[in-house]
Amino acid sequence: MRWWAQPKFWAWAAAVMIFPLIWVGGLVTTHDAGMAVPDWPGTYGYNLFLYPVSTWLYGPFDLFIEHGHRLLGSVVGLLAIALCYTSWRFEPRRWYRWGAVGLLCAVIAQGLLGGFRVVLDGRTIAMLHGCGGPIVFAFAVFMALSASKDWRGALATIESRGMSRLSIALVCGTILQLYLGAQLRHTLPSTSPVGFLSMVHLHLTVALLLTLLILIIAFIVRTRAYGAAREIRTPANVLLLLLFVQLNLGLATWVANYALPWSELTAWLSQYVISAKGYWESFLVTGHQATGSLMIAASVWLACRVWRRQGKLVSQPVSSRISASAVSPLTQAERPA
Amino acid sequence: MCDYVNSAASAVPGWVGAGLPAVEECGNPNIDFARSLFAETTLVRLMACFDDVFFRWLPLNPLLGPIWSFRCTAWALALSLACAGCGSNSFEYEPNDLLAASLLREEGTQKPKPIAESASQVVESWFGSLGDPRWPTDKLQGMVGAENVVSMEGVQRSAGAVGRGNDKVERGLYRKHCVSCHGLSGDGRGAAAMLLSPYPRDFRRGTFKFKSTLHGSKPTRSDLVRTLHEGIPGTSMPSFAALEQSEEFQEDIEALVEYIRFLSIRGEVERKLIAKQIREGVELSPESAECVAVLQQIAGQWASAESKVLAIPTPPEWSAEEMQASIERGSQWYRSEITACAKCHGDEGRGDGASQDFDDWTKDWTILAGIDPKNPVEWKEMKPWGALKPVIDRPRNFAWSSFRGGGNRQDIFRRLVLGIEGTPMPPIARAEGNNPGLTDDQIWDLVHFVLSLGGNP
Repeated sequence: MRWWAQPKFWAWAAAVMIFPLIWVGGLVTTHDAGMAVPDWPGTYGYNLFLYPVSTWLYGPFDLFIEHGHRLLGSVVGLLAIALCYTSWRFEPRRWYRWGAVGLLCAVIAQGLLGGFRVVLDGRTIAMLHGCGGPIVFAFAVFMALSASKDWRGALATIESRGMSRLSIALVCGTILQLYLGAQLRHTLPSTSPVGFLSMVHLHLTVALLLTLLILIIAFIVRTRAYGAAREIRTPANVLLLLLFVQLNLGLATWVANYALPWSELTAWLSQYVISAKGYWESFLVTGHQATGSLMIAASVWLACRVWRRQGKLVSQPVSSRISASAVSPLTQAERPA
Repeated sequence: MCDYVNSAASAVPGWVGAGLPAVEECGNPNIDFARSLFAETTLVRLMACFDDVFFRWLPLNPLLGPIWSFRCTAWALALSLACAGCGSNSFEYEPNDLLAASLLREEGTQKPKPIAESASQVVESWFGSLGDPRWPTDKLQGMVGAENVVSMEGVQRSAGAVGRGNDKVERGLYRKHCVSCHGLSGDGRGAAAMLLSPYPRDFRRGTFKFKSTLHGSKPTRSDLVRTLHEGIPGTSMPSFAALEQSEEFQEDIEALVEYIRFLSIRGEVERKLIAKQIREGVELSPESAECVAVLQQIAGQWASAESKVLAIPTPPEWSAEEMQASIERGSQWYRSEITACAKCHGDEGRGDGASQDFDDWTKDWTILAGIDPKNPVEWKEMKPWGALKPVIDRPRNFAWSSFRGGGNRQDIFRRLVLGIEGTPMPPIARAEGNNPGLTDDQIWDLVHFVLSLGGNP
């Protein structure tokens, strides 16, 4: 099958394009540029695709990133349409075809949310839009993973359901953490200090729990019980790495936004002047949000690998390249006579 | 909560919840405070979103109106019960309840809201609302320099929601850059306020720490521009210098400065009116001569700020030996009774002196109201009115070599002779005529000593 006819290609393309879209969306929030273009779906009266390039590139930075975000969003929409088309044309798995439709709907919903955020100038809608982006990203990653060789050729090597539960808890936890982070990023001007403080404490508490969860997972996947499922070590290791990066970025994000409140303990920061909307500051803050999105995607990756390696899930492989003799004894035992 | 119900009721024809009475405040500050917190929950914000999308934007009202009306009313009622009250998500100036509460505390009454709100109404009639700021030109007619107090063009650009209009001019600069710390009303109670040290400035007192004018005077525009441009090291106040590449940078900074002046004047007038009503029993009204006199007095102070700038002499150019001798002399002045620097900053300049005090913003509602700021039981009485936990204003540790108001010799000289307003740091007495104090040369000695403590003689 040609490359353009494979849903896998379009699923990966969509996932790969959504990540920069999240970055640029994060920059829009960091620079409070959501209303840099006051109309939607057009841009200052122009059709989205016909807005003069020179005005876009050489205009104010907030207009540059907001219009760029819209253009990138429309590219992702086109990729989702291509995925939908190729899935319905060439993909035998029914659920996958509907999954592609679901992804397209999610991308459209995100676009509409972004549009409503502009038309209604609603910061809460902006917050929902900000939460939706990483979830759509995780969805696209799931679609790409479920079209991969690993998905199709996974053997049942995990007997216990513990890891499956942990990985699902991790997916839910990272999404919850993203939501809490979005609450902090999209604070209303009228939010009370107590409300914000509570949200910060909650964000930190969930961060601690997620850290523990990832450390536990990273430990368990190295135990003998999971020796036959070495493939799940890769996403666990990636999560560990992302966790390290994310914790540092989280601290740096706070310092870049608000400095640290313990001047006696942080004398080394006493000469540091926060740079409002500075290059590195924007990079750190947006990077924290984007790494959060990657953590959700990595959690989905781990969950997929774990699920596919549990006995019951491998019992109905689709167009598997594996011979019957290669299927694990557990799966064979579960098959009806 | 009820804001949403009522706003949706007025926006949607056929809205079942139309005419629902607003939930009254129960009068207990703790319960009202808890209710306002509940009303900030995302669930309530989500409901407002659905209201917006389905009723204001989608053209589905005529078709789905009755269905959605029923559903949303059910939501509203359920959430009303869940939230057990109402709170405000609307963007309006917050009345200065804290000041009214602290002034009333001596009289034993616990209902500051009516007084704070009556003062707030008077200033709103003069200064307009958050989205539509005005300047009371008619009340300031005949005042010298009245036209120079505030540029309303800058105020209009800084006020309101963030975004660009069809003219591509950016507006809402204050909400974009300042509101998360300084709050909508400039009361220093922005969302992040509790997590910052020091707390963000409450502009409504009209007091600014780092300025070039005499003690007790207002800052000049260039003082505020400097703080915005350079930030304050070691604190949460950022520098906006990174935006210099933007063509709009200078205009943005100037517009923000105008809005800060506007918020300060507005807030200070409000404070004075509250004090007049409580202490003198003056009936507040926008047309009252006494109220207008307050407005004119405060506007006059801001108008005359430029004439109160203190000229700082050029630092002497000394050799290394002379500088060493100057530092040694400065060391003596540092520990002398005249300056009493060591009393707060400690013998070694590490900010660990015996005297540790609070700033004037905290004293306003604690010591002046008869509350011990170190006693949690006492200060927490004021928490429902917006009080944040009192924090000691620690004297500077010179070993850090970090000076918030600027670190060059002239900056330190200026801080010494002007003090830091609103903090326990007083101005040094200067020898003038028969007045005892330090001469300029002696102050330079002190400057050199202070800088030498951080390794920068």
